[in-house]
Amino acid sequence: MSTANTQAPINPLGQWLSRYATGAVLIVIIYAALYTVYAVQQPRALTSYSIAALMNNTAPLALAAVGQAIIVISRGFDLSVAGVISICNVTLAVYPLEGPGGAATSVAICLAIGAVVGLVNGYLVAILKIQSIAATLATMIICQGIALVILKAPGGYVAEWITYEMTDRVWQVIPVSGLVVGAVVLIWLALKRSIWGISLYAIGADETSAALSGINTLRVRFLAHVLAGCAYGLAGFMLSAQTATGNPTSGTPLLMLSFAAVALGGTSLAGGRGGLFATVMGAATLTLLQKVLFSSGISSFYTGVFQGVVLILAVVFCGLLARLGDDR
Amino acid sequence: MSSTASQQAKSVRSEGALTLAASGLRKTYGPTVALEKADISLTSGQVHALLGENGAGKSTLVRILAGAVQPDAGEMYLDGTPYRPTSLMDARGRAVATAFQELSLVPNLTVAQNFLLPDLPKRRGGMVSARATSEAGKEWLAKYELDWIDPSATVGSLPLADRQRIEIARALKNAGRVLILDEPTASLAETSWLFKQIKKTTDRGVGVLYISHRLSEVREICMQATVLRNGASIASVALSDASDGDIFEMMVGHRAAHKRVVRDTKVEATRPPRLRANGLCGTDLRDVTFELRPGEVLGVAGLEGQGQHELFRLLAGLAKPNGGQIEVDGKPVKMTGPRKALKSGSGIAYLPEERKTEGILGGLSAATNIVLPFMPRIAASTLISPGMETKAARAAAQRVDMSERYLSFDIADLSGGNQQKALIARTLGTGAQTLLLFDPSRGVDVGTKQSIYAAIRKFADEGGSVLFYSSELPEIVQLADRCMVLYGSRVFRSFTGQELSEQNLVAAMLGHGRDEHDKGPVA
Amino acid sequence: MTTSSKAPSSHPDFTKNADSRGSAKISRETISAISVAVLCLVLLFGARFINPALGSWSQVETVLILGFFLVVLSFGQGLVILTGGLDLSLPATITLGGILATSWAGTGDAAQWFILPAVLAVCGAVGLLSAIGVIWLRVPPFIMTMAMSIIVASALLGYTRGTPRGYAPDVAVALMKSDVLGLPTPIVALVIFVLTGWLFQSRSVFGRYIYAVGTNVDAARNAGVPVIATQTIPYVISAICGGFVGIALVGYSSGATLRMGDDYLLPSIAAVVIGGSSILGGRGTFLGTVGGALLLTVLGTIISALGLEFGLRTIVEGSIILIALLLLREELFQKLRSFGK
Repeated sequence: MSTANTQAPINPLGQWLSRYATGAVLIVIIYAALYTVYAVQQPRALTSYSIAALMNNTAPLALAAVGQAIIVISRGFDLSVAGVISICNVTLAVYPLEGPGGAATSVAICLAIGAVVGLVNGYLVAILKIQSIAATLATMIICQGIALVILKAPGGYVAEWITYEMTDRVWQVIPVSGLVVGAVVLIWLALKRSIWGISLYAIGADETSAALSGINTLRVRFLAHVLAGCAYGLAGFMLSAQTATGNPTSGTPLLMLSFAAVALGGTSLAGGRGGLFATVMGAATLTLLQKVLFSSGISSFYTGVFQGVVLILAVVFCGLLARLGDDR
Repeated sequence: MSSTASQQAKSVRSEGALTLAASGLRKTYGPTVALEKADISLTSGQVHALLGENGAGKSTLVRILAGAVQPDAGEMYLDGTPYRPTSLMDARGRAVATAFQELSLVPNLTVAQNFLLPDLPKRRGGMVSARATSEAGKEWLAKYELDWIDPSATVGSLPLADRQRIEIARALKNAGRVLILDEPTASLAETSWLFKQIKKTTDRGVGVLYISHRLSEVREICMQATVLRNGASIASVALSDASDGDIFEMMVGHRAAHKRVVRDTKVEATRPPRLRANGLCGTDLRDVTFELRPGEVLGVAGLEGQGQHELFRLLAGLAKPNGGQIEVDGKPVKMTGPRKALKSGSGIAYLPEERKTEGILGGLSAATNIVLPFMPRIAASTLISPGMETKAARAAAQRVDMSERYLSFDIADLSGGNQQKALIARTLGTGAQTLLLFDPSRGVDVGTKQSIYAAIRKFADEGGSVLFYSSELPEIVQLADRCMVLYGSRVFRSFTGQELSEQNLVAAMLGHGRDEHDKGPVA
Repeated sequence: MTTSSKAPSSHPDFTKNADSRGSAKISRETISAISVAVLCLVLLFGARFINPALGSWSQVETVLILGFFLVVLSFGQGLVILTGGLDLSLPATITLGGILATSWAGTGDAAQWFILPAVLAVCGAVGLLSAIGVIWLRVPPFIMTMAMSIIVASALLGYTRGTPRGYAPDVAVALMKSDVLGLPTPIVALVIFVLTGWLFQSRSVFGRYIYAVGTNVDAARNAGVPVIATQTIPYVISAICGGFVGIALVGYSSGATLRMGDDYLLPSIAAVVIGGSSILGGRGTFLGTVGGALLLTVLGTIISALGLEFGLRTIVEGSIILIALLLLREELFQKLRSFGK
């Protein structure tokens, strides 16, 4: 009976645009355009050193946004990202472990911290059914407190091996941080095609129907929080490698930016739609934008004005394209 | 397990024995008793109807049998062995499958994925193979004669009727012993596909539980019926032995169920029309012209997808016309929304199609829901109290025969029938002289239907104008002074007086009987 | 099979049960509000056992004055959340209010009385921009208000060149540091504000519209609710509340800083959530929010009086928010009822 509005003739161009242009492709185009501007301003931007430096700056945000995107796709919000990153950062700065073995242990510790916080979030959200934004608000505050207990004020040194190797380039060309992010995206692409991945999108779109279709929504949501926590842990590790020092509030700036990256990558905050590659590109765009604004000679006071306006414009633009596809 | 089940099925089929037998089922939610004491038994290879008013406990019983809800008391046996499903999947493991009224499909997954969840064909390494999924989906679709549906299409992009068919087909696939169909025809205009599939299923020895408000359908396909009233099973009868009147009486108690009132047409042809559409066009609608006069009840009929939905949305200002004009009381009006419609001329009030998603505001009281459009009128300098709301809602509720004590309840806790009464009370309470009612008695029980009809008639007798769409032809014949039939996105024919009969309407809905309709099989 | 004679006897029971269902639903929110209020009082006076200095009248006064800021902020935040949105621009509007008030007072030539409405108007305009982005440009509220927050903060940084100057205007000082009828003015203002806020949210036509829009936009539009105005005004109110708190903070501490609003964002959301509102909109009461705001303030005061180090304080604060969430969740109420017998 209500077929009238769903049977509207579909504009093929709009459909094509909505399928390909709203996600990864659009953000890649934006990124490329912005990079062109950057390269014109700074001819040295094309050297592998600059690219690696940019990649190093991008990695923590990209990984934080990856975790955030997983939760957003399942129709949730995760504020604990700030807390996990802070704990990982101060842990690495207070207990530096040298050498490759130390680095491996450090990564394991960071992943474990993220997984534990993810377990708690998963328990609160999936099992106890507390609204995700409220539950993770509480865990974020607790995590920030733990970070402050571990390290009262900025200081400490991250293991040299980590700060050096993780920001280096393989064969003087490929940035290690880029490899880390790339590996995470590859893992995601595999997960996305698993039953868990399909179920994640399903519960984001309609949890009741997903449950009635036989999906174990508790397990899917639980695992989503644990995986997201691991991504934040990795983000904390990469942030520490980049800053080389500890700061109990180092995760806080990444909280808002992680949401911005998710939105910029075209992932719907209403859940059920989006992807992680686009999110990573969203994070890269945000980082690049800061560089471009800086090298444009705009007073650093006003950087935020441009960031905010670009964020709004990008989201509006993505929305327009999506609606063009829906033909409404 | 499957071998013993099939052996049992064979013996069962020869004896016509019970597949599912439940007795003394009880379910309470806190202080609310949803199901008092229900007994039901399904015979192998037969279709059993479950009848009852809204709020009688049908949904709860369905949920218990489906495994979605666990009963507080009572016993269930499946093929002679105890049956206590703890989840939907548990029930499915025992070959009991359900097609839900509110559809349990995930909108952003493909048809094939929905069909096969929670197990999808995997490649090596645990990844799901999109191609194998699609192929498996295609086979299933072909098996249930739904070949025209693309297995890779996203479910959310399909028309409601196709979604309902997929929901049913998925249940058919999983129903080895028992199939439960909850209002399977709510979005299907015709039943031949469904009945054919049910027939195939019963031939396999599956017991089917069929829940529907449409008694004619029930009579066509069911042998036995169980009637629920107020959470208890009143009787289980052979349908051939019970008249419609008997069944209505069992459903509603002593109330007289069906009273046909022929209305004297009091249409005032001399006064200007309340509402006039002139060459109205939309994406699904072409060149619709009509006039609605004071005191007139104008029906709209049509098969699914003929533009009726858009017609009402255009008139309520929820969609923009591509051409044509809407006039209210002789003046052209650019409709921008239901609020504008209420304020145009003598006022137009709109009753949307989907009660749950477009109509009620769950969490707010029934009184607030009723008075919302005219709240400024009843408020004391913009301040308002629940008492004032209830007082103002009382008058409107009386017009639809809605019990006063429900007014302070959260509307989401009321039965579908009372929700619908509240929404109609809302349109009446606005004081608007024109009502746009989309399927005003959709999914409500017989008693509520009669109250709604009476309210509409009284409104028209007092000079109000009504434009209504209905998916039930007897309703149009009973209620309308005149009826427009939509076919192929146009007003195909109009009927008045003696011409307004079910036979004529059906012929016109099919385009003069020519069977050239698009994808769906048409009766 | 059952016979039809059984049904009538069960009928009265059934309807009676249906009745109590309605009342149980209403009492849920009341239970939340009362339990939060009781928790507040217990904490406030129970603290006396930890430290005799706590729980005194002057302590209560301090809590109420500090609570005033959070109550005002969470009123605006609560309205936005009620419509299904979220206002992350509060830190920016607080700072905007504070900085504009001090710098305009600092110029000396503007009449002092003029400052209050002018600052609030500017803040309201910021809220209007957020609303335009959310409603017309369809930017998710989360992103739109976050972007506004970044923009306004950056504009203020440029406007002050990094160092806010000026002094607190008389009107702000008068608000925070005077007495009315023997009570500190902020406490009187708090009482008036709570009363007005309650009337607005729970007893006005517009309040009802907000609930309707937050519950279901489509259904509200079909019912003739002015949807656009209803979605817009909460953002404007929230921004004005932020600006007002900025001015009040300046009056309280006699100066503005560029980060003066940062510590209020999360508490403003936490107060609304602890007060029993749904973060998804459509549910919640202002009195619950007031309870949540006061509870958070009491906690903050007690914890700082305990002399814990900052990190431990933060952990305790977070844990208590978590406990409140666990105690107030709807599931628990349902379970208590269904398993209670």
